[in-house]
Amino acid sequence: MSYYFISIGGTGAKVMESLTHLCIAGLLPSNERLYIAAIDPDVGNGNLERTSTALNNFAIFQSLPVGNDTPLFKNKISIVRPFPWNPTGHDKTLDDLIEFYHHSNTPVGNLYEVLYTKKERDTTLNEGFRGHPSIGAAVLAKKFEDGSRLTAQIEKVISEGDAVKIFLAGSVFGGTGAAGLPTIARLLRNNLADYADRVSIGGVLILPYFSFTPTNKLDELFARSENFLPNTKAALKYYSEKENLFDATYFVGDTVMTPVSEFSVGSANQRNEAHLVELYAALAAADFYSRPLHAPKIFKYICHHERDKFSWSDLPTSSERFVQFARFIFAYVHLIKPVLLDLVSGSAKAYKYPWFVDFFDGVDVTAPDVVNFTFYAEAFAAWLKQIETLNGREVFLIDSAMFEANPAKIVDKKLFATLDGSKSDLTLHEIFYRLTEPFKANSTVKGFGKFLRRLYDVCAP
Amino acid sequence: MNRTTRTVIKIFLIAAVTAACAAAAYYIGSNVTGHALATASDNMNYSRWQEKFFALTRATALINGLCALLWFIAARFLFTIDEAKGTGKRIIWAALLMVSLAISLGVPHLYAPMLGIKLNGIIFGLFAAIFTGLGYWLLTIFTTPLAFKYTPLASRLFRRML
Repeated sequence: MSYYFISIGGTGAKVMESLTHLCIAGLLPSNERLYIAAIDPDVGNGNLERTSTALNNFAIFQSLPVGNDTPLFKNKISIVRPFPWNPTGHDKTLDDLIEFYHHSNTPVGNLYEVLYTKKERDTTLNEGFRGHPSIGAAVLAKKFEDGSRLTAQIEKVISEGDAVKIFLAGSVFGGTGAAGLPTIARLLRNNLADYADRVSIGGVLILPYFSFTPTNKLDELFARSENFLPNTKAALKYYSEKENLFDATYFVGDTVMTPVSEFSVGSANQRNEAHLVELYAALAAADFYSRPLHAPKIFKYICHHERDKFSWSDLPTSSERFVQFARFIFAYVHLIKPVLLDLVSGSAKAYKYPWFVDFFDGVDVTAPDVVNFTFYAEAFAAWLKQIETLNGREVFLIDSAMFEANPAKIVDKKLFATLDGSKSDLTLHEIFYRLTEPFKANSTVKGFGKFLRRLYDVCAP
Repeated sequence: MNRTTRTVIKIFLIAAVTAACAAAAYYIGSNVTGHALATASDNMNYSRWQEKFFALTRATALINGLCALLWFIAARFLFTIDEAKGTGKRIIWAALLMVSLAISLGVPHLYAPMLGIKLNGIIFGLFAAIFTGLGYWLLTIFTTPLAFKYTPLASRLFRRML
């Protein structure tokens, strides 16, 4: 079995970010490889860039030998290239992409001119479909077949006898996601029709959960948050009529629209903070992957207890593995990272750090896997901080008073032992102490991977 | 082996090695230079000298053993490591080493006249080697709690040899 995750548009990229963290934390089922693809015409999108960084970090350190008997890094990833796949190319308008000049003054051309306004046709699509799914649907339908190698790659996997579960994530209220979700799902289902018994397609449809106020770009074509609800209503009506699009469909949204701090049409400036809705969507992917290949369709509703409060009891997952992972990351950031380079350079004395003597013999801490893990720890802390900063609403997954991000650090050491709100004896001192105790691992567990494995294990309650 | 068991074993080891140090110092001291020292002392025969010398080795071993025990208790129960800096505590270990040396040399220096026995340089060297070298330095290498296991000098070397 192989898992595929296809993010579509900016919201899809943010779901991918949450999924990346869940994957690294070992929250995906079994040990299957996760293939990750992204579809976004706005390749410079800040959200996508942030996700790509975490993914690329993991792509490098996932090969650290931590052993096969641990949830840590158990789901390896492969990034499907080109990443992201850009269906529009550079500086292209809708007219360019559908080759309007071939069709002008023909009946088809005339129909096209009726369906799309002049502004829609003439706007360059470097920054996505700007909240206009009608543009995106036309472009994706035309370009998916010849532009994306995704179908070919999935076919290759299936032809080797493997089954695949494909999960799509995107918004239904914006441009790229709203256009891409049904279009890509339909194209995949058609292209893989010969392998229907070995393919399952799921999707999470993100309903509106943020809003923004455009500033001084009133003449440009862009998504408008006042259109989100009408767009969503139309999209949901469409999906209710297309029963066979997905084998499992998840809807996630929020009754409170979180204002985006800084409006951007797209590109690098579109760097929205991570949101709890995206974590729910990533958990939907985990749920989909955990279900049997051809599970009967079920309808589940989840809700949370209080409108303005979120805690582990509101999430469809148990907290233990995530909390252990968070403890592992913060213990690394606090106890290990600050002295690692000093230890290697000799400016810190090795005798003070028994874990260094025991585990780092022959380890090059400037090697890409070590450096990328350290970068990743920063990315995880930043993501978690954002998840827990929900516009005045209380989110308590990991005690946010304990840590800060950018740079990641523990600000209240006393809270470390109770970082998920429950009492434990796992103080930083206890972690340090446990790290120095004898550890036996099989011979494949070695180097920095062995150290991370040990650190992860000692963070278990 | 869990941590409590390890703690109990280490405390027992400290007590056992302290007793062994007392026995070793008494045995070696008595046999190497005891006869000469007994003869040199006033109103003293060898068996009386041995008796007094045994009291001296016991007192020195006991006080010295407290240094090793103090280091163990501090490292096991008192020192807290919740920062990347401030680990190791070698300065405290080294201070206790100096205290141990002072005990190894100071106790016989002060207590022997009270007991009415004479000592020579061999005894002082022997006490320093046995009580400070074996009863503190070597003992702490093997009994220091794991979070500070490489703090005693040459600990890495000895632990690797095992």
